[in-house]
Amino acid sequence: MNVTRALGVVALLAVVGASINALFLVPADVNQGDAQRIMYVHVPSAWLGYLSFGVTALAGIGYLWKRDLRLDAVAVAGAEIGVIFTAFAIWGGMMWGRPVWGVFWQWEDPRLTTTALLLALYLGYLLFRRLTDDPHRRAARAAVVGLIAAVDIPIVHFSVEWWRGLHQAPTIGSPDKVLNPSAPGLFVIALVSMVLAFTIAWTWLMIRRYQLARIEWQIEEHGRLGRISAARRAVEASTGVQGVDGVKEGA
Amino acid sequence: MQDLGFIVAGWGLILGGLAAYAGLLLRRLAVARAASLRIRRQAESVASPDHPA
Amino acid sequence: MSSLRADAAVAWQIARKDALSELRGRQAAGSTLFFAGLVLLLFGFALGPDSRRLTEASPGLLWLAIVFGSLLTVGRLHQLEAEDGALEELARYPVERYAIYLGKALAGVAALLVLGGVLLPLVAILYGIDLGSAWPALLVTLVLGAIGLAAVGTFYAGVTVRMQSREVMLPLLMLPIVAPLLLAAVKATSAALLGDPLGDLAAWLQLLGAFDVVMLVAGAATYGYLLEE
Repeated sequence: MNVTRALGVVALLAVVGASINALFLVPADVNQGDAQRIMYVHVPSAWLGYLSFGVTALAGIGYLWKRDLRLDAVAVAGAEIGVIFTAFAIWGGMMWGRPVWGVFWQWEDPRLTTTALLLALYLGYLLFRRLTDDPHRRAARAAVVGLIAAVDIPIVHFSVEWWRGLHQAPTIGSPDKVLNPSAPGLFVIALVSMVLAFTIAWTWLMIRRYQLARIEWQIEEHGRLGRISAARRAVEASTGVQGVDGVKEGA
Repeated sequence: MQDLGFIVAGWGLILGGLAAYAGLLLRRLAVARAASLRIRRQAESVASPDHPA
Repeated sequence: MSSLRADAAVAWQIARKDALSELRGRQAAGSTLFFAGLVLLLFGFALGPDSRRLTEASPGLLWLAIVFGSLLTVGRLHQLEAEDGALEELARYPVERYAIYLGKALAGVAALLVLGGVLLPLVAILYGIDLGSAWPALLVTLVLGAIGLAAVGTFYAGVTVRMQSREVMLPLLMLPIVAPLLLAAVKATSAALLGDPLGDLAAWLQLLGAFDVVMLVAGAATYGYLLEE
């Protein structure tokens, strides 16, 4: 409990500190100018999006193996937080792409296209979870859905890479816009510190989302038991039969 | 700063979104904890007359 | 080895049964063909009347129509059985789960080949394309695309079969997964139609084949989890 709270405070301080450094202290890029500063939030978001979905896929496999609903709670935490960070990554990429490439959306960039499909895949995953009731059936099916999605990702990436490579499309944007930091050392420090700060925040979010999933499961379970015993009481009151199917009150 | 609009939009939505999601998560957690506590109290008050402990 | 043969027999019987019930329920299959044809017609209204633009876009339009049609086809292959409780019955038999999956996927391939076989000449007529000598390559593309769509579709039909909102969930889950298939099939089709000027037809067919293998293996390995309970 208190460790998580402390982690939250550390995460907040780290994100604020690293952001001030990346926004105001590090010198701008020679070629891309200040627009390059968007990379400092775009790159960590993309990394954490991919990490989250990796966690979801692994937790799903773990669930199918151990049948432990705690692993399913990890999977749902990964999927929801992954969707958030992936959306951030796409938004950051678009805001960087317009001033540097001249376009918001670049179809020939395999990372951008793959990431957009990734977002669609896991939004579907979350919606699917929401529309399935039984916790074990939901966990098992979500696990296989997450697994197939994870298997699809490399194929998507590969196909978009070929899409570009086989047709030798001209690269949009001028070649003089390649990254060219005026102070490479400071640039690396700023990027790494942003990645670290975001990863600490991600860890805190994952723990909190996991806790939420566990409590929601308890409430859900209680509602189910309540409905079952209410139905049983109603039948017993109307028929006078006690303890059908060997089920006894208070057993 | 050049391209100020894009930088503000990019950073603003990401940091703002992060804060909003964290805040929303804490609220959902508080609501769920309160509901879970209520259920547990209810269960205790129902169970106590039958099972004197 | 003999058990592998037994699994193949199970798969074949399931495919035969599904194909027969599909033939008997002619109306449902016919409405899928009608729907896909209608999509092609509407694309014509959306992009026409400039026939050159339609010709250029025709590989993409053909495959979009096939993908949309496949959503209806694979959904139906599971739906009838789920309504009759036959799926539970099937799950109770001591047969390998992957055999059931492969049988259903095979029936899906057959249904999609019929769909593609109708749509391809329709595209040629409506959008003014000369199929000419391209048809062997087009046939290979069609078969590989049908296998991939059936592999993914059978899996997701199994995932969503018991959901109330499956009509929405099936496309939402399936469409992003088949994106690489769509890309590769469209590229292969246009390469075939143009006489493979860039020499990339084989590469796209390989990508389609790789997609098919990966999805068939993944579907066969996980289908058992969908029949639980």
